[in-house]
Amino acid sequence: MKSLEFFRNISIGQYVDSHSWFHRLRPAAKYIVLFSLTVLAIAAPSPVGAVLSICVAFVVALGSKIRLSFLLRSVKPVLPVIVLTALLQFLFAWPNDTSTVFLRAGIFSVTMYEVWLVIMILLKATAMIIIVGWFTSVTTESDIARGLEDLLRPLDNKYFPVHRLALAVSTSIRFVPIVAGELEEIVKAQSSRGADFGAGKKNVFALARGYLPLFVPVIVRSLERAEVLAEAMEARCYTGVGQTQPPKAPRQRGEIIFLLSFVALIALVLIGDSIYFSAWIRPF
Amino acid sequence: MLKTLSPALIALENVSFTYPDAPSPAIKNISLKIYKGDYVAIVGNNGSGKSTLVRLFNGLRLPNEGTVLVDGLDPSLRANLYRVRQRVALVFQSPVDQIVSSCAEEDVAFGPANLSLPLPEIERRVSKALAIVGLENERSRPTRALSGGQQQKLAIAGALAMEPSCIVFDEATSMLDPASKANVLDLMDTLTASGITIVHVTHDMDDAARSGRIIALDHGELVFDGSPETFFAQAEPGAEPGVGTGTEPGVGSATTPAQALGLGVPKAAEAAELFGLETRINETPESLAQRLSALQVTVAYTDGGHTESGNLYPEITQGSAFEYKGVTFSYLSGTANEVRALSDLDLRLPAGARIAFVGATGSGKSTALQLLDALLIPSQGEVVSQGHATTDPKADLKAIRMSAPLAIQRPESALFEVHAADDVAFGPRNQGLSGKALVERVTKWMNIVGLPYASYRDRLSRGLSGGEKRKLGLAGVLAMESEAVLLDEPTSNLDPASQKSIFDIVKGLSSDNKTIVFATHSMEEAAQAQFVAVFHEGRLVAFGPPGDIFYNRYSPSWGIGLPYAVRLAKALSKAGIAIRGTPLNLEDLKTALIDQARQGLSLRPLQDLVCKEGELEEGELEEGEL
Repeated sequence: MKSLEFFRNISIGQYVDSHSWFHRLRPAAKYIVLFSLTVLAIAAPSPVGAVLSICVAFVVALGSKIRLSFLLRSVKPVLPVIVLTALLQFLFAWPNDTSTVFLRAGIFSVTMYEVWLVIMILLKATAMIIIVGWFTSVTTESDIARGLEDLLRPLDNKYFPVHRLALAVSTSIRFVPIVAGELEEIVKAQSSRGADFGAGKKNVFALARGYLPLFVPVIVRSLERAEVLAEAMEARCYTGVGQTQPPKAPRQRGEIIFLLSFVALIALVLIGDSIYFSAWIRPF
Repeated sequence: MLKTLSPALIALENVSFTYPDAPSPAIKNISLKIYKGDYVAIVGNNGSGKSTLVRLFNGLRLPNEGTVLVDGLDPSLRANLYRVRQRVALVFQSPVDQIVSSCAEEDVAFGPANLSLPLPEIERRVSKALAIVGLENERSRPTRALSGGQQQKLAIAGALAMEPSCIVFDEATSMLDPASKANVLDLMDTLTASGITIVHVTHDMDDAARSGRIIALDHGELVFDGSPETFFAQAEPGAEPGVGTGTEPGVGSATTPAQALGLGVPKAAEAAELFGLETRINETPESLAQRLSALQVTVAYTDGGHTESGNLYPEITQGSAFEYKGVTFSYLSGTANEVRALSDLDLRLPAGARIAFVGATGSGKSTALQLLDALLIPSQGEVVSQGHATTDPKADLKAIRMSAPLAIQRPESALFEVHAADDVAFGPRNQGLSGKALVERVTKWMNIVGLPYASYRDRLSRGLSGGEKRKLGLAGVLAMESEAVLLDEPTSNLDPASQKSIFDIVKGLSSDNKTIVFATHSMEEAAQAQFVAVFHEGRLVAFGPPGDIFYNRYSPSWGIGLPYAVRLAKALSKAGIAIRGTPLNLEDLKTALIDQARQGLSLRPLQDLVCKEGELEEGELEEGEL
């Protein structure tokens, strides 16, 4: 057991002020990089595409002066979940799976197709964690909101209030570390009183009850915070409409050229993976 | 006189307010007027309705009965609401909760942007507001990177950017360390001087005494509206006169309005009264020392400095309960955002002692506390917690944590059971107690903290008052009957009566020879510890008996302040009356002065006065002795 310090192993949501060229990109441009990488990671039809998405993310991270170990740190806490999800693939047979069977025991089977799926899940989940970690490392909370607002502005209307949405997103993100800090504090308080949070309980109800000392105070405190913030915003005349908008950052030629090249590169990798690598590497 | 003729900025007439589903009104039939340029303090115990009252000032609450007018505008009319909020700005208690943006200047701009002001005007207001609060150099910084004091100043800048006529501070200094608090209070003075009306909701009577007018609430009713002098120094009609006071106001008054409400008095008033002098509210220790020194008949001796009072702090022989050995701790260790919180800490905490950890916000005292019960593990070095090294891979951390449980700041926030007694039972149950033994343990500690088991066991935990919840939270920790207990700011954000009763419980634990380590921003509490550890910028800068710390080793750069008695003793020393020993409270200071008088060294009129109060036995001091 180690220190009760939740943030140590989480890179998502931690802005790293390393003054790189990527940091200076306009928020909307960072979103475009994020979406491009996400599309590549999700849509890559073969492990080669998934590995390439990780590689591109690594190159972007290095260009942003973000340490790779910092990004990889977030993979560790969720690794059990990823592995469990991946292993579930072995539990039931897939319909129409005619690939080579390595092992079969009852409902448990290991086929070439399932191994392929497991590798894809592991790689894609890792890629997503790294990509999101990179994005929040180079984008401040207010830029996360501003970028979203800039991208969605064409859709703004009274039924889809983009500014409110962006404010809600940025407020939520700002409160993530605060609520996580609170969670940490309550865990410390209850651990001092011997709480084990349902450890060793086999009954699902006992397990759930074990978490009550944690969740009840955290939810109550979060609601109290939300109430204070709502009052603070109201006291400063927030209505959700009619605010003065911040000035727009001017477009830069270098940024546009980079984005076009980057999107083209991603498209190229994706197409190459679809028509060449996936056929070449696919063993079934 | 002029004020009464000018229109009131805020006028309440027969205002009552009841929260939905509440059994009784939070505000009962209150009428009052606040004028432009006023500096008003609103005081009252937890739950007296202070926060509700100030929310009526800017339309965050609308009265069920009566009328509120702000600069002639009725906030209950929607058209007026935002004009009212523009005029009456509100700064809340928790710095972090009221910040809307993640960048300092954007947060200040939030209000003006909501007013749809043009960008150049917003820019002008942001620059001006940040300059007034002294945060010009922080304008581009992320708000989370600011200290607690800076965050509160940012909130004030956000209020100032609305260019209001009045700023309401709702316990806005209660979560700040002494240096930050002094900064914000000075800022209030500056703002008042510039013509802004200040309304300060506070539990601190020294802060209230700085105002020009005090409004006191009790159970939703306005029970006092007048000058601080009357509130703190003038007996209520019908009260018994004090001993030997004659009719002089302020001298030994029986029951002042403040005392009647259990709110205490400012330190200066308490000291003046103790020494039999006329009470002057908001008097500095230097001024009081001058008045005391003017009483001398013969010139006081000087003994060349203070002496350590070793006998006041008996040697503790039980050995150490905790030991830090070369401890360094960094949060987010190994990440790009690594923050060093403590460096090279070597310290032994004696078993059975009451030890205070003090220091400004971010100085490392809470980290040091959490290292003691293995909630945090050192990055380097070793912590030995009651004989067990927390870094030992074989250590049973759960057992270590339960043997020195930590009551976090606001322990009531960790309450989770519906009924009070169930929450107290949580820890003992985890220790393996059940049945009759468990009930006995819970009963014992609920009774000790002042929540009798018989009447409180089935009360709803969340329905208790602020002070009661704090007691319940503490009872849950104390009921574990561990050898040591760790308390992080046990009395913060409570009214004076609750603060006293909680700290009395903490002191009472010492009778069981329990090791008590508590972090605090109150130097009055630290002065009641047997040892004080001072943390500054992640390092231990002093450790020793409080007398030694506050008299001999104190540095203003620590940002912790001094107990009032020490400030007065130092002021007396400057005025030519050096005090022998290291008195840490006013009673001890008075005793030291009397002892010096007994030795024929000084202060005859003072002796006369204290004789009147029966402090010296008859015949002990003859006229001819001086």
